[in-house]
Amino acid sequence: MNKFLSVLFLTLFLMFGYQLRGFCNEEVQPREITPEVRVNPAELPYDYSSTVRVPIYLSITKQISTKDDLHEGEKLDFRVIKDVVYKDTVILKSGDIVTGTLETIITSGMNGFPAEVIIDDFNIPNVKPSQLISTYNKRGQNRCFWVYPLKWSLTLIPFVGSLTNFIMGGEAKVKTSDIITIYYYPEWK
Amino acid sequence: MYKKIIVLMAFFAIVTPAFGYDESVLAKENSIQTRIDAVGTNLLNYNKIPKRIVFTYDKSEKKKLVSTDKSLTKRQVIVYDGLYQSVQTDDELAAMLAREIATVMKSYSGLWGGMLDSLQVALGSKKFEMVSDKRAVDYMVSAGYNPLALIVYINKTCPQKRFDKISRHNLTSRRLAHIYEYITYKYPQYLENNEYINNPYYQNFLLTSVDNRRKLEEKIKNKSSKEVDYE
Repeated sequence: MNKFLSVLFLTLFLMFGYQLRGFCNEEVQPREITPEVRVNPAELPYDYSSTVRVPIYLSITKQISTKDDLHEGEKLDFRVIKDVVYKDTVILKSGDIVTGTLETIITSGMNGFPAEVIIDDFNIPNVKPSQLISTYNKRGQNRCFWVYPLKWSLTLIPFVGSLTNFIMGGEAKVKTSDIITIYYYPEWK
Repeated sequence: MYKKIIVLMAFFAIVTPAFGYDESVLAKENSIQTRIDAVGTNLLNYNKIPKRIVFTYDKSEKKKLVSTDKSLTKRQVIVYDGLYQSVQTDDELAAMLAREIATVMKSYSGLWGGMLDSLQVALGSKKFEMVSDKRAVDYMVSAGYNPLALIVYINKTCPQKRFDKISRHNLTSRRLAHIYEYITYKYPQYLENNEYINNPYYQNFLLTSVDNRRKLEEKIKNKSSKEVDYE
């Protein structure tokens, strides 16, 4: 009986143990590195090694507000405030007009949530979009600071706390006096 | 003596398959994590996102009912296995990750190291759900992924509730209609040269969104700028 059991276990061991890859197997191949793991900077379309950057100061030519009839994807005009120079070359002159895109509009919400606009995708002559870090956000007045404490304090009186839901956040405005700074990285691809 | 041999054999017979199983599971998890990292990093690099975000694959089926949103607290995008199983192409994976990146980015802005904004995102999730969808489309386009995959991904994974008036989430059909409208106005090239036209999941979206798309067509025809009340 014991002999039978030992043979049975030996058989089981050979069946399940020996066949397994990576254990008691002489033919185990080294695990291949998948193509995703290989890093070859020459193939990448970007290279962020350089830290050299040139600020570009802009202001919008016409004030916008989330109260107005704005559309996502709308092109906006911006005026260059100061000459942009890199290695003695003038990239942009003060007064030049460049365009940007109104990427996203977040409308104001209940409980004092402010409206917000996100502007990006600036189109600057002789500068590749990949050489710019240009996301600009502007938001309205955030009333959550006082709306939430008020809401929680009024919760003691049934249903009254919910009334703060109707307090809306401020509208986002980009004024002509607002200075928008985006960065040009001339040595990026 | 025999007893000892038997016990030894039994030990190996039981333990060795466990080691082998672990290795295959680990290899599979590593390959999933590698794919997630590759697509996620593409999104970050092509969009020049100057903030740190990590991607982690979690074998759990879905997020626990009571847990913090790690995308807001740790800037960590967790990909749960239950959702990953619905991902077929890299475009769809990019759609899943781009939405989360949009949420994480919100946690980096504003006062107190982004704490207030994170709180707002958590409390006003319905509003920011739409914002994340739109930002995800932008991120996908910048990184070279097809934004229609976001429609396909959401159509496959998000259930349709009866109403959303008192819910913290929007109706999925409404979200899809807004994404479709956003792509129509901002990136019409993806609809003109539609690579997804032969995709059955996309066709299912087209089938289930006929009424909403008719509303959008009406808006475009009338050159209206009013927000459409999608169903």
